[in-house]
Amino acid sequence: MQLDASIAGIGMTEMGRFPKRSNLDLATEAFVLALEDSGLDRADVDGLSTNIGHPLGVDYDQFAEALGLDIRYALQTWTHGRFVGTALHAAALAVSTGMADCVACVCALGFTKLGQVGGPEDAEGSRPGGGSHGERPEFGMTAPAGGAALATTRYFHRFGAGSEDLAHVAVALREHALRNPRALRRTPLTVAEHQASRYVVEPLRLFDCCQVTDGGACLIVTRADRARSCPRPQVRILSAQGIRSGREEFIFSPRGNGIGQQGDFAAPPTGKDLTAFRLAGLDRGDIDLFYTYDAFSPLVWFALERFGFCGPGEAPAFVHDGNIGPGGRLPTNTNGGLLSEGHLSGWNHLAELVRQLRGEAGEGQIPDAEVALWGTAFGDAVLFAR
Amino acid sequence: MSDPARPLPVPTPDYRPFWDFVRAHELRLQHCAACGRFRYPVSPRCHGCFSAEWSWQPVSGRGTVTSWVVFHRSYYAAFAGRIPYGVVQVELEEGPRLVANLLDAGPGEPAIGLAVDVVYEQVSDEVTLYQFRPARAD
Repeated sequence: MQLDASIAGIGMTEMGRFPKRSNLDLATEAFVLALEDSGLDRADVDGLSTNIGHPLGVDYDQFAEALGLDIRYALQTWTHGRFVGTALHAAALAVSTGMADCVACVCALGFTKLGQVGGPEDAEGSRPGGGSHGERPEFGMTAPAGGAALATTRYFHRFGAGSEDLAHVAVALREHALRNPRALRRTPLTVAEHQASRYVVEPLRLFDCCQVTDGGACLIVTRADRARSCPRPQVRILSAQGIRSGREEFIFSPRGNGIGQQGDFAAPPTGKDLTAFRLAGLDRGDIDLFYTYDAFSPLVWFALERFGFCGPGEAPAFVHDGNIGPGGRLPTNTNGGLLSEGHLSGWNHLAELVRQLRGEAGEGQIPDAEVALWGTAFGDAVLFAR
Repeated sequence: MSDPARPLPVPTPDYRPFWDFVRAHELRLQHCAACGRFRYPVSPRCHGCFSAEWSWQPVSGRGTVTSWVVFHRSYYAAFAGRIPYGVVQVELEEGPRLVANLLDAGPGEPAIGLAVDVVYEQVSDEVTLYQFRPARAD
């Protein structure tokens, strides 16, 4: 059984600091832009897949009510990058099965109005038993950066890597951003500058951590025949796979990295890690573009290894050798990522992916881009083709 | 002296016994009666054999640091005066791993491989935390 789903339209606001704009306002702008891009009408939208609700975003019920939609398929996921592909593949499943005909995937982000990420206002981080990034407030262990840093320290130890190796991730993504008019960080970054930047949660430095911005994004998903009649070239969703979970998974740590209750072992991908490839009849060699959730630079390493683009512990060398930058063998986050473009949770990466596969990415267009992978360190993935 | 607004563990039904033991200066984990595994986080079932039979049993308090971070940014008023401060992951002899602060750290500590012992830190009238300090020959 295969998916029958395509991206019929994309819409994305500017990213930046907009304290006077509500999340609803940002989501609405993105939605209208996506409708215009798709040539579809508000009345066509009968599904809503929302990633990130209140307080950082807008809840599906308020959005549908305010915009006068009539939705027969609504889904809302948690905040976080691991639910980006999840919200998208849910939309693909909905249209494939006929549960909906046209699903708007909506993400609005209002980081500016929230203050810092982590700390006493972070309800999820105060969860009994530990937060979703390993937070333990009583020990001052907080914020997603804390969990990412804990995983990075151990990865460095196991594989002999260090902060300077991480610099190459940030530098490569900045090189992509230089060719992206939407990117907020468009000055070249050197390894020396990265190394001179202060620690946030050691061993992660300032330039290992993503920006936080406000903005909105929307992708419209329909079955392929509907998308073919839309003005812009369609982008097909070939297959997907879900988030991994269990004792061997720690949110920002590769399997076998010994964080939380994980085991200690080298973990090349198994069949379960490559479900989307098998379902699509593709392998790694078919991937022209890679997009991944890069809230922190080490997550790029962990995602590369998760899907077997390199072996356990080999990602630092893979990146150092220029593979993920412009002109590399596996251009990654060609928009510059969360690290250099801006933060729309990864929906900005998906919008970029669509532009690339449509051949409409402008100065940053990767030649002959036909197949793209959204794949995260959490194990979820979506495969796309033009 | 008490810290301003120090975040405290949430005393939910699952975790209340754990923190009651800590207040009595005991580190106890759930111990599976069927297969003998110690476990953490708290769970009604053994994650290995799925038995529902268990009891709170003391652990040795000895462990090894297997990862660490250092906070250079203040997220909590209570920790602002301690910047930079460390958080360690300790693998107990019995297997489970706990997160805590490292007290009485020396130069170059924390470091992966450091042997540690559990200690107890009273942070409020009602709440004591477990912590770790480097194991030193007396």
